[in-house]
Amino acid sequence: MSKFLKFLFALVAIFAVQACTDLEEDLVGDVTEDINIEGIDTGGGGGSAGPLSAAYASLRGAGTANHGGYYSVQELPTDEMVICAKGGDWFDGGILIDLHRHTYDATHAFVNGTWVQTYNAINTVNELLSGGNLDANQTAQARSLRAYYYFRLLDLYGRVKIITSPGQDAPQASRAEVFAFVESELLAALGVSEISSSMDLSGSALGTDPNPYAMNQFGALGIIAKLYLNAEVYSGTARWQEAADAASYIIDSGVYQLCGDGCAVANQGKRAGVASDPDELSGFAAVFASNNENNPEHIFSVLYDEASAGGMNFSQMNLHYSSQFTWNFDAQPWNGYATLEEFYNSFENGDARKAASFIVGEQLDFGGSAILDYASDDGELVLNYTPAINELTPNSLREAGARPGKFSFKQFGRPDMDNDYPIVRLGEVYLIRGEARARAAGDWNVSLDDVNVLRARAKVDSYSTIDADEFLAERGREMFQEGVRRMDLIRFGKYNDAWWEKPADPSDHVNVFPIPFEQLQASGGTLTQNDGY
Amino acid sequence: MKLKVDLKYALLLFFVAIGTFAMAQRTVTGTITDAETNEPLIGASVVVLGTSTGTVTDFDGKFSLDVPEGATQIQFSYTGYATTTQDLGVSNVIDVQMSAGTDLDEVVVTGYGTQKEKEITSSVVEVSEKDFNQGVISDPAQLLQGKVAGLQVYNRGGNPNNQSVIRLRGLSTVGANVQPLVVIDGVIGASLQNVDPNDIETISVLKDGSAAAIYGSRGSSGVIIVTTKKGKASQKLQWSYNGQVSTESVLNSIDILNGDEFVAAGGTDLGSRTDWIDEVTENPINHTHGLSVGGGVGANSNFRASVNIREQNGIMRNTGFDQFNARLNFSSRVFNDKLKIDFSSSYTTKDQRIGYDEALRYAVLYNPTAPVLGADSPFEFNSSQFGGFFETLGLFDSFNPVSIVDQNRNVAERSEFNYSANLSYDILSNLSVTMRIAQQSTDFSNDQYAPTTANFRGNATSPTRKGLAEFYESNATFSLYEGFATYLTSFGKSDLTITAGYSYQEDNFNDRFFSIGDFPDNSLDFSNLIESSQDLQNAGFINASSNRSPNNKIIAFFGRANYTFDNAIFLNASVRREGSSKLGEGNQWGIFPAFGVGVDLNRYLNIGSVDLLKVRVGYGVTGALPQQSGLSKEIRSISNDPSGAVNTTLARAANPDLKWEEKAELNFGLEFSMGRFSTTLDLYNRDISDFILERTVDVAVFGVDRRFENAGKLNTQGLELALNYDVVRSENFNYTTGVVLSTYETVLEEYVLDAETRGNLGAPGQNGTNMLLVQVGQEIGNIWGPVYEGVEGGSPVFADINGDGQIIAGQDQALNPDADFEVLGNGVPDLELGWTNQIQIGDWSINAFFRGAFGHSLVNTFRAFYEPRLSTQTSYNFVNTENAVDGLTTARFSSLYVEKADFFKLDNLTISRQFNLNDAAIRSIQVSLMIRNAFVITNYSGIDPEPSLVDRGSAGNGNTTIASDVLSPGIERRNNYFNSRVFALGVNLNF
Repeated sequence: MSKFLKFLFALVAIFAVQACTDLEEDLVGDVTEDINIEGIDTGGGGGSAGPLSAAYASLRGAGTANHGGYYSVQELPTDEMVICAKGGDWFDGGILIDLHRHTYDATHAFVNGTWVQTYNAINTVNELLSGGNLDANQTAQARSLRAYYYFRLLDLYGRVKIITSPGQDAPQASRAEVFAFVESELLAALGVSEISSSMDLSGSALGTDPNPYAMNQFGALGIIAKLYLNAEVYSGTARWQEAADAASYIIDSGVYQLCGDGCAVANQGKRAGVASDPDELSGFAAVFASNNENNPEHIFSVLYDEASAGGMNFSQMNLHYSSQFTWNFDAQPWNGYATLEEFYNSFENGDARKAASFIVGEQLDFGGSAILDYASDDGELVLNYTPAINELTPNSLREAGARPGKFSFKQFGRPDMDNDYPIVRLGEVYLIRGEARARAAGDWNVSLDDVNVLRARAKVDSYSTIDADEFLAERGREMFQEGVRRMDLIRFGKYNDAWWEKPADPSDHVNVFPIPFEQLQASGGTLTQNDGY
Repeated sequence: MKLKVDLKYALLLFFVAIGTFAMAQRTVTGTITDAETNEPLIGASVVVLGTSTGTVTDFDGKFSLDVPEGATQIQFSYTGYATTTQDLGVSNVIDVQMSAGTDLDEVVVTGYGTQKEKEITSSVVEVSEKDFNQGVISDPAQLLQGKVAGLQVYNRGGNPNNQSVIRLRGLSTVGANVQPLVVIDGVIGASLQNVDPNDIETISVLKDGSAAAIYGSRGSSGVIIVTTKKGKASQKLQWSYNGQVSTESVLNSIDILNGDEFVAAGGTDLGSRTDWIDEVTENPINHTHGLSVGGGVGANSNFRASVNIREQNGIMRNTGFDQFNARLNFSSRVFNDKLKIDFSSSYTTKDQRIGYDEALRYAVLYNPTAPVLGADSPFEFNSSQFGGFFETLGLFDSFNPVSIVDQNRNVAERSEFNYSANLSYDILSNLSVTMRIAQQSTDFSNDQYAPTTANFRGNATSPTRKGLAEFYESNATFSLYEGFATYLTSFGKSDLTITAGYSYQEDNFNDRFFSIGDFPDNSLDFSNLIESSQDLQNAGFINASSNRSPNNKIIAFFGRANYTFDNAIFLNASVRREGSSKLGEGNQWGIFPAFGVGVDLNRYLNIGSVDLLKVRVGYGVTGALPQQSGLSKEIRSISNDPSGAVNTTLARAANPDLKWEEKAELNFGLEFSMGRFSTTLDLYNRDISDFILERTVDVAVFGVDRRFENAGKLNTQGLELALNYDVVRSENFNYTTGVVLSTYETVLEEYVLDAETRGNLGAPGQNGTNMLLVQVGQEIGNIWGPVYEGVEGGSPVFADINGDGQIIAGQDQALNPDADFEVLGNGVPDLELGWTNQIQIGDWSINAFFRGAFGHSLVNTFRAFYEPRLSTQTSYNFVNTENAVDGLTTARFSSLYVEKADFFKLDNLTISRQFNLNDAAIRSIQVSLMIRNAFVITNYSGIDPEPSLVDRGSAGNGNTTIASDVLSPGIERRNNYFNSRVFALGVNLNF
């Protein structure tokens, strides 16, 4: 029995030892510290981005080409794209109609989602910058990329916190301060104190190699050109000359070429049973094709890949459910985004950009047979995308509206697409230079040289004269689906006009989005709301 | 499979072998009867005092007990009767008459010991076997449904694989574990899944903080203490068989149009007439069998062993489970009865046919003119692509429900094993030390397989990538080591019991998931031939993930003192100091104190006919912790870059200051009994502070907008009342009735946000439509939306609530102060009622249990989506309840779809007849007939008016959800399993 007692006390002793407040938590199933393992440069695609791969990957996470974030808030409030409520489908509490009619407010889910996405991306860059492992070139790339994200915030929200290292707080800056920050960061990366026609970029830490997946001098110049083009909106002071000079520098360098005749890729969307489908896509269409990597027009692009770099979902977002059978998609589309009829009609027939930008008309499946929609709500079974849309809400027809198809679809496509998405491309650089020069000169005809370069590529007649409205229309035709229309309408003073199913805005406070309600609450009073909300 | 059968036989043989050990000494016999009625008392306990030797009376109230030498007294006890003790004389025959009435000395299991019911100063309710709910019970929690005031047990619908939602006194926290802590035979944190309802003797519910505080950090949501049946130390082995066969039918679905009505309403006619609900449901036959044996082994040991087999099928075809459970309890006293050893072990394996609840949802909304088979299609249809079934292609969220039931497979297998050993040693006559070790292991696997011809999740419309197999496996282990000492003393009129101890708990969890698809065709079941998957040739299609928890530890020191003065004034105090590895360093330890006072007033007032008049007040602090690990740490997610690089991005920010969430509860109780009447009243106030919640933080500062914070306060006030009355008590006719009532209100006092909306209605077309308002200063569970006034041009017209001349009813304006929104109802009931009636007429007994909940509302989402006659809805079916509005062709969430869901139902009706066969091999037979959900009275037009306390979220188009949102009660989702009416025939044999 005494043996038993000893055993008992021994057990108690063991417990007592274990009791030594050992509450160490070793999280074996989670990553709790940043790891960054560099890939091996295989020479294909864009190659390794080195330690910056996380920073460039953040462009995909920041809503650049999917639903519910940056792309949606840049496109849906404009006259080029809309999501109509189709009976029981796509009403979604009215938030899509709010975007179309500019009645969005601070609790709008997309407004909050975009804010969070963008700051997530900024944090990724800040972590890399504060890690101390970057060389001068990589640091300049990272700062330029961060400046681009702040350019997005500047454009959308105006007054935001400028955070440059992880975990630090900063006061909410005015829109002019954010503008000045973006400008100074880009100028620093370019190694100059100002943009001019005579500037010398030899002191820039950025490179000049044409790799569209990494920020080089031309990418940074493209972004600063966009910044200066909209400077009057952001800061109250126009900066036309600098915009024109930055654009000219890119064009004059000769590093990039417009993708015209002879610039072609295989048509990955071709159907075996449809003879009229071309074997290859050339010119304008090739710039946005599913195999558009290495396109000579891309200056700075977001890399997308169906398997390893997902985040572009246009096939899902834009097409009718039954269009699955045209491209043999892996998943059923959602029947969401369409183009406004007036915008579609702004393209003349024969404009190569019209055919490349839209899916319209009767739809055929892989074998060439008409696609039938047994749930059709217009009495016509054949799936036929009509440019005309009967109404915005509540019962827009299922097949109404030309569908955005500029980033063209490939056969057997997955929900994530392969097309690279250009943020800076040479076509837009021509338009920036043309507009900036014209506005600086006070004469829109000054833009004709640059505009006609693009019209020639689109196989349409040159203009001999042009005005502001026509320039905006031309910009719309060239830049459709590239997330710039909202900036353009604001800059041209058209954003508050009435258009289809949208009354004129009673106030121009809608030209910046509200600071998201959730963020106002979470900030504990360090953020204040924009005027008018 | 083979192995399992063998195991069952092996266990049975083992039990039989154990049974042959019994031996005998001096034998005392006698009869126990009711002092008033002279009726024999069946199953009364007879124990030789100071030993574990004992027996129970048979159906004639007779007992026969082998008394060891040296024994002096025998104790007789019976639930509801006063315990008596008789001296052992020369005679070997002792007949006893026992008096009914509240047994003031009845012992109730509380934390780390037992207490006399009278001495308890907190709100504790014990329910014993005879009061359990009867019938087809798939989940032990259902035994208690409606039986304990303040304990909410809701199992919406009739899905046999659903676990009940259990709440004690409403929501105790918003982010952490809202289910009560379960303690089985002393093992903290044990799994209710590993105990068969047949093996449970009593369940104690510790309702208030002062009772639960001894369990510390995990006691905030209440504590449920399960005591399993033990062998009685009698000489004879007692065998018992319990069998039941039952069938079920659909209790209620939702009103929809039949084919002809649908065509008349403008629906697309596809030529057939199909009752889809009928096609996917059936009236299944279920069996349960339980066999147990128990008794003494030698003079000092006893055991009970049992085997239970349940085959249960749901009303939806191809759903249900087969469960096998074995349990062994063994107890022995050695070293002159100074050392008591208790060993308990159980093993459960459950094969689940889970199926997809979505099949019931699509059965409601699928076109009633569509054919089941593609061969009956009105147009050319390639049905071989869909396994012969018809499918409405090109539609969002439309799948042939019969194809889902017949083609899609969703099965799971769960096995649990646990054991516990308890050593209790009496160092002195008034000092004992107890050591406990317990371990539990749970393995779970879930396989889902959609063949290449399944449109639902199998992607059969895709030309390239068809079929999907998903595999999930998890393993959870739990270890408990505890030691405590109990010291008893008395001086003068005072009695004092002191308990002190130490507890170490560790749990581990790991799981793995992967999915793979693109199988060659449907000629084989490729879920076991996944090497055939063409996903292996294409990058990016295979999904895989794994998780492993750290060693989650809880370490605690605890102590308690129970002081009794004059057998009338009772003081209890306890404290537990507990640490968890989940919290931030420096905040890992918390202190959870409790104290309580009770006074038996009648001892001093001496009111003649009153048996008990006791008041008590208890106060206690408990804690709560979320299930996740690493709450205080920074968590990052990994992403692979196409360049081959591996990156991480921040997924959750760190919070090193995270500390315990605490609940402080004050409970006032009044207990009164007089003759045949007894009542208990409890009033309570609970304040939950610092609740742990993953909240939105400033993304600009933290880089990510999520982290855990101590972020709010909840207050709940409530009242609970239990009444019991023996209406008739006579020789051949007894009628006892009891009512439990509870009501409470939970208010959010502080929150991370001033206000937010939750509970998205979902696709199609009603995303961004949150139906619940969570606002500081308001009750939990408020349903929030515009008020429907009428229909104009097909669209609903909403009320101008604030009278400002404009109607602001857009869902993104829900929090706009000018919005025309109001509270449309509340998802939490105001009053819950359970009404028990037990009638005994001779050998017949009738047990009728009624249950109701009042004051809660439900959003009928079937109506919200499918009742308006949408133009795009003509290829689906329309819901058509009596609330349908003519001419409404637009679906917008509003008050139109929020319905009062008060109900009152005959939950359980059992009629049984007892046959006593004294001298036969079989001692007694009881036959019973049981009906569950005999009738339901409600105005709710949806599927089930039971409160929905947890929202599972909205899923569409082939997806399923695993959300679990406790802040969004009151939503009846479309993928609810239909409730059923159950008829069961049971037999109970004792031999």
